Amino acid sequence: MPLYMCNAARGVIQDAAKAKIAADITRIHCAVTGAPEQFVHAFFAEESPAQPLNDKSAVLFGSIRAGRTDADKAEIKSKMRASIHSHTGIALDKIDVLTADVPASWVLEGGEIMPEPGEEAAWLARHSSGERK
Amino acid sequence: MIACNCVVQANQISTETEASLRVQLSEFAERRFHAPAAINWIAIPEGSGFTAGKPSTSSVVSMQAPEPLSRTEREPLLRELCEIWARETNSSLNEVVGVISDPPTQ
Repeated sequence: MPLYMCNAARGVIQDAAKAKIAADITRIHCAVTGAPEQFVHAFFAEESPAQPLNDKSAVLFGSIRAGRTDADKAEIKSKMRASIHSHTGIALDKIDVLTADVPASWVLEGGEIMPEPGEEAAWLARHSSGERK
Repeated sequence: MIACNCVVQANQISTETEASLRVQLSEFAERRFHAPAAINWIAIPEGSGFTAGKPSTSSVVSMQAPEPLSRTEREPLLRELCEIWARETNSSLNEVVGVISDPPTQ
């Protein structure tokens, strides 16, 4: 966690672009939140019924740890939308980026419950060097 | 029914392992939540999953509890869920993200 799931119309995001967007997602999320990159997941699907496109060509849905500020979330959404646009050429108004807050205590990753906001120090110290259980 | 979403990297889990996981996850839901699991299996195409910006071997298994859970109730359930996944897929806990959510508030 975070888990960013990108659903797109068939063929609009090429494999090479996926790698670049995933790198941007990771960089942007970590820069804004301070999270370690090893927990940032970016998955891409096409025409997934689980994540309707409606009138969009690409929808990125991020399940992120609860406790981020509205300003942080706005920055994440704006920058990730720009990344998808720049690597695919999809018009900005055909790209949607959404986030949902997930309480950290609902998630077990790397063998540990994710830390709550304000409790990151020890967890970051363990994980910033890549240590995972 | 207990909603259960499984997000996996395509071709990393065999058909036999998927079948075994479905049984184990259903048994977990019956044992812990007293209802069968409605499993939604999502395979991310090869080359389309990334963790830390690199090709991913991670899987995500999430279930929605039928009623709100305290942290002390949820944690052992999360551990059991992730251990089932790691055991059945012969992967490490580093490659498993487990989520047990509360039901939506009305």
